[in-house]
Amino acid sequence: MQRTGFGGVRRQMDKNREGFILSKVMSLHDAVAKYVEDGDVLATGGFTTNRKPYAAVAEVLRQGKKDFIVYAGPGGGEVDMLIGEGRVAAYINCYTANSGYTNVSRRFRAAIEQGKLTYEDYSQDVLMLMLHASSLGLPFLPVRLMQGSGLMKYWGISEEKRKSMPKMEDLKCVEIENPLVPGQKVVAVPVPKIDTALIHVQQASPDGTCIICGDEFHDIDIAVAARKTIVTCEEIVSNEYIRRDPTKTRIFGECVQAVVKAPYGAWPSQCYAYYDDDDSALKEYDKASKYQDKADAIAQLAKAAAKAAKSFENAPADEKLKLAAEAAEKAAKAAADGTLIPETFEDYLNKWIYGCKDQAELLDKIGGSRLMRLKNEPHLGYSTTH
Amino acid sequence: MSDYTKYTKQEMQAYAIAKNIKENQIVIVGTGLPLIGASLAKRAICPSCHPIVESGLMDCDPVEVPRSVGDNRFMAHCAVQWPNIRFVGFEANEWLHDEDRLVAFIGGAQIDPYGNVNSTCIFGKGDYLKPTTRFTGSGGANGIATYCNTIIMMQHQKRRFIDKVDYITSCGWMDGPGGRERAGLPGNRGPQMVVTDLGIMKFDEVTKRMYLAYYYPFSTPEMVQENTGFEIDVSRAELMEGPDPEIIRLIREEIDPGQAFIKVPKN
Repeated sequence: MQRTGFGGVRRQMDKNREGFILSKVMSLHDAVAKYVEDGDVLATGGFTTNRKPYAAVAEVLRQGKKDFIVYAGPGGGEVDMLIGEGRVAAYINCYTANSGYTNVSRRFRAAIEQGKLTYEDYSQDVLMLMLHASSLGLPFLPVRLMQGSGLMKYWGISEEKRKSMPKMEDLKCVEIENPLVPGQKVVAVPVPKIDTALIHVQQASPDGTCIICGDEFHDIDIAVAARKTIVTCEEIVSNEYIRRDPTKTRIFGECVQAVVKAPYGAWPSQCYAYYDDDDSALKEYDKASKYQDKADAIAQLAKAAAKAAKSFENAPADEKLKLAAEAAEKAAKAAADGTLIPETFEDYLNKWIYGCKDQAELLDKIGGSRLMRLKNEPHLGYSTTH
Repeated sequence: MSDYTKYTKQEMQAYAIAKNIKENQIVIVGTGLPLIGASLAKRAICPSCHPIVESGLMDCDPVEVPRSVGDNRFMAHCAVQWPNIRFVGFEANEWLHDEDRLVAFIGGAQIDPYGNVNSTCIFGKGDYLKPTTRFTGSGGANGIATYCNTIIMMQHQKRRFIDKVDYITSCGWMDGPGGRERAGLPGNRGPQMVVTDLGIMKFDEVTKRMYLAYYYPFSTPEMVQENTGFEIDVSRAELMEGPDPEIIRLIREEIDPGQAFIKVPKN
């Protein structure tokens, strides 16, 4: 072997490693089967409609995994789907919306309004600092935030209930005196112990090294903090290639357990430098997620018709109310006799998640021209044709 | 041809926002009207301002209107792309350094006379655990209201302007003078004004209670009182003039041509 200095030897070693020893590349099915367990503290990367790990969440749903304590940072459709499917034992919320499409995520909202979701509210600042503190390995986190607000006053999960949940800290927060600055009141909050992180990145190499383009959000924090990290990526590049410019790599491969190639793995959310959010899918989800399932759609439409009829009754001269009452009655009737039931959350999932065995089937279903329309303009970082 | 001499309530609100941004201010914006207002300020009224967003994008100047604070449309041509925690640290350090450069826009569903804002849930017949109406939750608003001077954006309705909000998501002046200090919050920060579709409210320097400072050409102090669920002092109210046609042209043709946030009536 001709020695060309350390770099040459290293390249040779990489070649061996990739092929035989250190490749973490596996199918999405295997990654989720192996590294996502029922009851995990599960953290998802991304920000509302940006770089959310939809492909990984879809596989979690398909495999029936459940009972998670979920941290999503600013959450979007990914956490809304987990909630709607009843997979969430507790949701630690700071903000949940497909902003610009759905002002408040609908299954999240319905679950809380029906008293069915165990949840906790923090401010976004505090939640993101908690995830960062987790990546730093801190024992607890002192902040000067949330003071005087309902975020301290109201607890979604009582101390008693927390004590019955082994993976939940005993307290939501507690006001203490800063031991180093007498008289200064600060708020101590817990640091989550994350079992599994799901993140979607632009490029990863077989050894787990990741390149994230654009805003990193809390993805690096949860990848470092989690015991198990599954990375889905647009492209897999060689271990050698990814090291060509270490200013671009963002996650050390040793923090990663599984690398999965999942092109458009953040669809229908955005992925910087690759694609924009899918307008039509997010609008479809917005409408469909109003109704949990067919029975819920029939019940809600009947309720809406009764309400519209009552408004018209109170103002019989109002032509607009008359038309609204008629339309509502028609919709309720069509739903009740089964001639026209609007698409529901259950239908959406059957179509886009359970109806696709993997990412390849999903891409075929979305279709080539639609995916091309989402492609980003390189000079803008988003699409002007979506 | 569009008639720029006529304008909508929302356009007036966007103009009111832009007029209240000062030279060199660092402006925390979200999406919606505050973004339109800040874009208008940056282009026409106060070009030295620096819009930033809570996801960590600094000095944004989007070409196309972003739909959310995480939207890549905010990324295009911004100065620095920080993760959110840097934004949080920056906000706190501005206060620690006694800098008075930040101003932030926040919104909500309910507000009380001291500018405490609820964007978490309406209890209705239930409570926090099972509310009648649930919203997103705090997002960045609680931190912003802790460390920054704020301008609150609301729709002016009786059910929104109430004596006591169900849940304080973002702290205002709490229960009046000294309230913020007692709660452990910076006393030299707090809500500066409330911009609605009917006027601009400010807070009395002594009592910290909301009063009407300006009404618009299409509103009156009486309309403001009628649509406010608590006693509001309207004795100091002045008329704020409407925008020039050029301002309206800018909003419609350059800032929000797709009418993402400001709808233009057909006639």
